[in-house]
This record gives sequence, structure tokens and C-alpha cells, in this order.
Amino acid sequence: MLLAVLIANSEGNILVERFNGVPPEERLHWRSFLVKLGADNLRGVKNEELLVANHKSVYIVYTVLGDVSIFVVGKDEYDELALAEAIFVITAALKDVCGKPPTERLFLDKYGKICLCLDEIVWKGMLENTDKDRIKRLIRLKPPTEF
Amino acid sequence: MAQPLVKKDDDRDEEVDYSPFMGIEKGAVLQEARVFNDPQLDARKCSQVITKLLYLLNQGETFTKFEATDVFFAVTKLFQSKDIGLRRMVYLMIKEISPSADEVIIVTSSLMKDMNSRTDMYRANAIRVLCRIIDGTLLTQIERYLKQAIVDKNPVVASAALVSGIHLLQTTPEIVKRWSNEVQEAVQSRAALVQFHALALLHQIRQNDRLAISKLVTSLTKGTVRSPLAQCLLIRYTSQVIRESGVNSQTVDRPFYDYLEGCLRHKAEMVIFEAAKAITELSNVTTRELTPAITVLQLFLSSSKPVLRFAAVRTLNKVAMTHPMPVTSCNIDMESLISDQNRSIATLAITTLLKTGNESSVDRLMKQITNFMSDIADEFKIVVVEAIRSLCLKFPLKYRSLMNFLSNILREEGGFDYKKAIVDSIVILIRDIPDAKESGLLHLCEFIEDCEFTYLSTQILHFLGNEGPKTSDPSKYIRYIYNRVILENATVRASAVSTLAKFGAMVDTLKPRVFILLRRCLFDNDDEVRDRATLYLNTLGDGSVTETHKDVKDFLFGSFDIPLTNLEITLKNYLQNPAEKPFDITSVPREVKSQPLAEKKATGKKPTGLGAPPPPPTSAADAYERILTAIPEFASFGKLFKSSAPVELTEAETEYAVNVVKHIFDSHVVFQYNCTNTIAEQLLENVTVVVDASEAEEFSEVGTKPIKSLPYDTPAQTFVAYEKPEGIPAIGKFSNTLRFTVKEVDTSTGEAEDDGVEDEYQLEDFEVVAADYILKVGVSNFKNAWESMDAESERVDEYGLGARESLTEAVNAVINLLGMQPCEGTEVVTSNSRSHTCLLSGVYIGNVKVLVRLSFGIDGSKDVAMKLAVRSDDVNVSDVIHEIVASG
Repeated sequence: MLLAVLIANSEGNILVERFNGVPPEERLHWRSFLVKLGADNLRGVKNEELLVANHKSVYIVYTVLGDVSIFVVGKDEYDELALAEAIFVITAALKDVCGKPPTERLFLDKYGKICLCLDEIVWKGMLENTDKDRIKRLIRLKPPTEF
Repeated sequence: MAQPLVKKDDDRDEEVDYSPFMGIEKGAVLQEARVFNDPQLDARKCSQVITKLLYLLNQGETFTKFEATDVFFAVTKLFQSKDIGLRRMVYLMIKEISPSADEVIIVTSSLMKDMNSRTDMYRANAIRVLCRIIDGTLLTQIERYLKQAIVDKNPVVASAALVSGIHLLQTTPEIVKRWSNEVQEAVQSRAALVQFHALALLHQIRQNDRLAISKLVTSLTKGTVRSPLAQCLLIRYTSQVIRESGVNSQTVDRPFYDYLEGCLRHKAEMVIFEAAKAITELSNVTTRELTPAITVLQLFLSSSKPVLRFAAVRTLNKVAMTHPMPVTSCNIDMESLISDQNRSIATLAITTLLKTGNESSVDRLMKQITNFMSDIADEFKIVVVEAIRSLCLKFPLKYRSLMNFLSNILREEGGFDYKKAIVDSIVILIRDIPDAKESGLLHLCEFIEDCEFTYLSTQILHFLGNEGPKTSDPSKYIRYIYNRVILENATVRASAVSTLAKFGAMVDTLKPRVFILLRRCLFDNDDEVRDRATLYLNTLGDGSVTETHKDVKDFLFGSFDIPLTNLEITLKNYLQNPAEKPFDITSVPREVKSQPLAEKKATGKKPTGLGAPPPPPTSAADAYERILTAIPEFASFGKLFKSSAPVELTEAETEYAVNVVKHIFDSHVVFQYNCTNTIAEQLLENVTVVVDASEAEEFSEVGTKPIKSLPYDTPAQTFVAYEKPEGIPAIGKFSNTLRFTVKEVDTSTGEAEDDGVEDEYQLEDFEVVAADYILKVGVSNFKNAWESMDAESERVDEYGLGARESLTEAVNAVINLLGMQPCEGTEVVTSNSRSHTCLLSGVYIGNVKVLVRLSFGIDGSKDVAMKLAVRSDDVNVSDVIHEIVASG
């Protein structure tokens, strides 16, 4: 299960958070844990360089893209490599929607489209689409090109 | 971060001013949502409002039931618009609001219309939304369309239906299981993602049908799998089939191993890693099977991608726990990872090296770790401390440098959990390595001189009180203890007073001096400290050099064997029903009420590790001893010699799960059957195990203790006790049947019916073997211990062990047969070696020390010969060891 996708600005404020199968009372823990993880480790990291951590059987892969930091959390079949795949799709889609690694302003400007992309990529804890071009078409309700 | 820091800050000031969501407020957005009701819809404006609503939801804002209903009804109006962008937003919004069951009906007709639309993308999205919001009854209505969608030509539609199926399987499995033909067809799809989703769903539908899964794996491993993600799933399912086939690779080639090995050459890293991981997790994996997997993992160790390095080092770390030798080939790469920027990777590398390192490399490693410790967080330091603890137990001769390392880090800065891990490690080393005792105790004494944690100070003082008096010069600890009385807070002072008193009680020559110190404590400003001092001064005698009476020692320092919860309940009852009679402590029940399984699971689930520190560790043996002494029928059996590991008597996932622990006493054996009822609709009562001991002639049954009531998912224990000839290692086979009264339970109310039916359930047999009479007790220096034993007690003989797969297998077989502790890491056989010496140590029943020296040799036809030399405190025991090997 892909337990969470969380996107925060450089000050640690949450821009998007989507949890799957995480009870509401545990979400606050996760939010502060991830933000702290980012604050401790993301300083000076290059765009899209992946960082990884685990806590017991739960894995976390995270990175920076422009002004935003992106965290994905998973367990079981979503181990560090599957999460790396998921975060790769997310960063690719974000760059596609924003045209470049986004500033916070640009991210918020494209907020609606970004939500749609995330909706196409992760659905209730499962990775659904992995190709950025296809996602770009799907959010405009266009069928995929290969079809 | 792409831009220079200063410029970015300037940008940000600007951005904050113009953020599209600046000052956003729920009330205002809800007002704005009224535009959804306009007769002339402005698609752009509506999309903006939906974005704002999404932003609020993603920020953790919640809508009241009334607000959510309001927004939901308004959003449904937007189906009138033909704007494609807006329609996509509407789908997302409905999913996010998740309308309640009674509101869903408003939107179903629109969605069903979209589901049959000619526009493929309407179909795909409508399926996803419908599956998110509908219940079972509505699902039967649309089932036909979903089945069509699964085999739709458009991969997006097919994937939408398949992923919906995966989610619906959790809530309405009976419906989704009917789709298996269509899903089977989708597994053959040419679209990579459709195949991935179909494979996941098909596996879930058939997960309880082993044969079907095996067929699925067989056909797919021969065919083509299009996406790396699907390939990873297939590898997981394959290893499941291998696991369940139970084939032992020692004798036959493992099925599907070639497939896994082939995946190691796949072009996707994800697949390579998955295959390598699957191979390392095979049961009884051989070195030959492991080697190719370890080779690819080794390549990953020097990858430029941190995720790959992490994955590889994590997997190798696990392998090193069971197969340290093959992993040693990665040691050089592993050492370079100690300086990895990612501290998780560095810590895993260190702990792996600690597992694979040999005795000669310990000192060099410790030097590297010392530099590394200063720049990692406490949570990683704890992992390292635990690894060092196991290393020290493996190489007891190295205790000096490892203990020094632990005491050095104990002096440095650190939080409670970290310090506690170090203290626990030192305590364990003191217990297990007799030579380490004195230096370890002194390290602990120095630590409490400057310890900021009351809990740790009291724990150490308590431990010091138990162990200090047994050392060669107990007086040297008194200074440290009395310093606590002068310098610390009241809790620690009280603890120190008790420790002083223990020294006084145990070491007669120290008693007069301890009395002087205790008398000073009578003037302490804390009640508890004064009370304790008074108690000890009045019970321990007159302060002269005399032996303290055993009853006094038991009263003051004996263990309190009544469960505190039971005492609390009985005391509360006593207070509620006041009686003239004084409270009688013998009326407190000593049975430990078992904790329901569900509760245990809940407490174990802490996602971020935030929370209270766990209770201090107690060994399984202590726990067993406490349970057994609390049962009056078994109290007369004397001291518990050994408890075996649990032996499973049922297969996994059966109605009742039962395992047995064999407790060995001098002239008795007690079988503890741990039973769990896994059927929610049943309550079992009067649960006993009927044991047939006809193949265990020397044993005669003396008593049983049934379980009164065994509700669902709440483990409990029943016991059967046997008498056997004293001090003799009687062996035999025991057949078991679980007997009980079963009552039906109404799961909605949780109440059981009054009438029950008697029933029986056949359990597996188990044996009491010679190894049950030998305790695993290591020695720190085998050579010294061997030479200090009487050479007259030595018995030597040679044995042929026949053809074996490898030397390792032969060595393990003999270790398991004898149940003794391998010393100095000699249980590990170097690969390809033709001879090996293994050193074992243990204590035989009756407290007789035994040492064993095994020399193995293997010839070209894999025939193994063994020379067995035994020395022990009792020459008869040396003979017994030979008898065990001869008959094994």
C-alpha cells in the first residue's frame, strides 16, 4: 500500500497531503515526522535527488523539486524501489504541468491540475498510471496516444 | 534547490503576496460554490472554486455534514456542463467529498450515463468514482458494465475497472470473485499496466487456492510479462509458491529457481532487486543459490542512486543474520558505505559489517565506528549498540574492547532511549560473560555518578545490589552507592538505600559499615528514604558480623510473585465490601490473565516510534518461571531447569492454533500448551489437552490444569505435568488431542449460547529429546575452560555421519542434536573447506558443566566423519553425551 503522498513548501508547510489506509489519529504524527525528516536532510539536495529512509516495515522516499519537497510513504509491496518509481512519476508530472521545477507560487497556480495528476497516479494507495504523457492527456480526458 | 538562496527568498516574498490561496477561508469558498447553481455555468470560474475546495481539503480542513452535503449537491449540477476540464474536476471532487450512502443516489444516474458514454475517458472516470462511492446492492446493478470494462480495448478503462476491483474486493469479495474469467483475459493484455493491475487482482481473488496460484505462476513465468512492475509481482508470487511447495533444495532442485535467477539479468533494476531479495529469502537457501543474488546486490552497493544502495545494504544486512559467510565478499564495498551521506545506509553498513566481521577485524571496525558515532542521530546509534551487543556475545574474548566502547559512548551526550540501550547491553554482557562482570559493574558505577535519568540510576542500583555482593571485592562499590544517597533526588536515594541494605544482607563482613551508612539515612528529609532505612536497620540484625537469616532476606529482597493487577482488583473489592477480617494476601489469585491479541497488536503499531519507552526487557525464562511458580500444583517441582522454544502442534491458519513449550525440572516435566481460538463465532470452555504417553514409558502423568474459557483471539495456556526419574534424561514421544466444550457466539452481540457441545481436535505429536536436558551456556574462553576441566573426565570417540549435502549441514545437525551453545563463532563453516572444528558449551541437568570439541572431515563422496571429545564436571555426563550422539 502506498500510505501517503505529501508535498510541502520549503518552510515545511503542507501543500498537498493524501493518505491511504492511515487512521486519522496517526496522520498528525506522520505529517510532523516527514516534515522533520525533510528539514534534517533536504538542505542542499539537488532537484530530484532521491533520499530514502525506513521506519520498521514502512519506507519513505523523498526529494526536492524547485521550492517544494515531495514525500511518498509505503509498505509491503511498495518498498523503496517501487516508491522511487512512484516519486519519479510524480516529479515528472509536476515538471510537465508547471513547465519547470516549480516555485511555490507556480505550484499553487497549477494546484488544480496537480491534484488531477496525483489522482491519476495514485488511487487509494495503488499506483495507477506511470507515464507522464499519458497522465497529461488523461487529466484533459483525452485517451492515451498508444490506444 | 535550483536557484541561489538569496534570490529565492526575494521571490518568495513576492509570491506570498500573490499566492492564489492567500487568506483563503472555508466560509467564503462555500459561498463562492454557489456559482455551481447558476443557470449559465462559467466553467473556468467553477474549476477555480473546485481547486480552492481541494486546497482546503488537502490542508486537512474538514467540512461538517451539512456543508459537505451542500457542496455535493451543488457539484452534481455541474454534470450539465459539457466542458471537459470541468468534468474531470467534478469527478475528483465527488471522490474527495465521499458522499454518504443516502446522497449517492443523486449522482449515480449521471455517473451510470457516463459509464456507458461513447467517450472512453468518461467511462474510465465514472467507473472510478462509482466504485468509490457505491455499496454492494448498487454494485450488482453495474456489475455487467464493469465486467465489460475489464476487457475494454482502451487500457485506461480496463485499468480503472481492475483497480476498482482490487478495492471492491475488500468490501464485497463475493461479487468481485465472479469476474475471474475477465480478469484472466486481462492478464494476457498487451498493455503493460493492464497486465500489472490484472495480475494483482487475479492473485487476490485466488489467494486461497494454492493450485490456481501455482498454475498462474507456471504459465506466466514461461510467457511474457510486459511491465517491470508486473514482473516484480510475479517474482513475489513465485517465491510464495516456492515457499508453499516446501521442497528442500538440499535434495532436489528448487522449482522456479531458474526463473528467479534469470530475472537477475533483467534490464530494470527494480526487477533485479526483487529477484535478488526473493532468492535471499528462500528457506534453507544454499550458498550456491545465494551467490548470484549477492553478486548483483554487491553491484548495487556502489550505485550512484541512494535508493539502490539502501535497498541493497538493507537486504544484505538481513542475509548476514543467517548467512554471514557469503556476505563477507561485500565487506570492502560495505566499508566504503560507512561514510555514506545517508545515515540509514551508513548504519546498515556498519551493522552488517559487525555481523560478518571475524574476530580479528573487530578492533579495526570499532575504530571506524567510533568516528562515525558522533555524527548520527540517537535512533541509529541504538541500532549500532544492539549490533555490538550481539557481536560481543558471539566473540566473548573481545569483551574488553567492546565493553570499553560501550562505556565510552555511555559518557557522551545522548537521549534516554540511547542511554538505556547501552545500559541494557552492558547488563546483558555482564550476565552472559562472567569475565566481563567486574569491569562492567564499574562502568555502570561511573555512569551513575553523572546520570541525569532517574529511571536508569534506579535500574542500575537494583542490578548492582543483585550482582555486586557476589564479586571478589564488594566493598569497592559502596562508595558509588553511598554517593547517590548524598547527591541525588529522593527516588534514587531510596533505591540506593535498598542497594546498600542488600550488600549488608549478603556480605556479612560489610554489615557493620553498611549499618553506619544506613543510620545516617535516618535523617534524610524524604519519608521513603527514612522508612526504608528504618526497615532495614530493624530487620537485618544488630549490625555485627553475623549471617543474615534466610527468612529475612526472602522477606526483604525476595521476588513479589503476585500479579499487581490481581492485587489491585482484590484490594478494590475488599474496600468496596468492608469486612472485620483483615485483608489476606493469600486470597489474591495468582493466575495471569492473558491480554487479548487485538490489544497487543494495537500497542505494537506505532508508526513513527514516538511514544513511551518499552518496559525493561525480561527474558522468556524469567517469564515462564513466574507463570509456573504461580500455579500451586507445580510450586513443589523445584527450580525450573530449562524451557524449550515453542513447538507448533497445528498448521498455520487452522481453526485452533496450539504450540507447546517443554519445561524441564529435576524430576518433573511440564508441558505448557499455548492455545488460540481463531474462530470469532466460537467460545471454547474447559479446554484440556489429552496426552497419550504410551511411547514415553518413563513418564507418568501427575496433573493437568485446564483453560476455563478460551474466547476468540485471546491466547491462554493449559498445562500437563509429568513425573520422571530424577536427574535422568528420559526421552519419549507424546501424542496430543485438544478436548473442549464449544459454544456458538453471536458475533453482533458477542454473547455465547448457554449450551455447548463437547468436541476434540487432533494435534501433532512432539518428543522430549536429549537436547531438552542441556542448557545453552557459553564460555568466554573455550581453551581456558577446557584445560581447567579434569582431563580424566574426557571421553573421545569417532563417528561416521554418512553422506551429507555439506559440512555446514552436518555441523548444524550435531549442534541441534545436542542443544548446546556454539562458542567463538565456530558454528560457521568456511565455504569449500574440507574440515572444521566446532566448540560447544552447555550445562547438563543437575548443573553439570559440559564442553564439547567436534572435529569434522568430509571426503570427495561427501561422507562426513566426526571426532567427538567431551569433558565435563561429571564423567557420567561425558558418557551420556556420547550416548546421545550415538543414538541420534
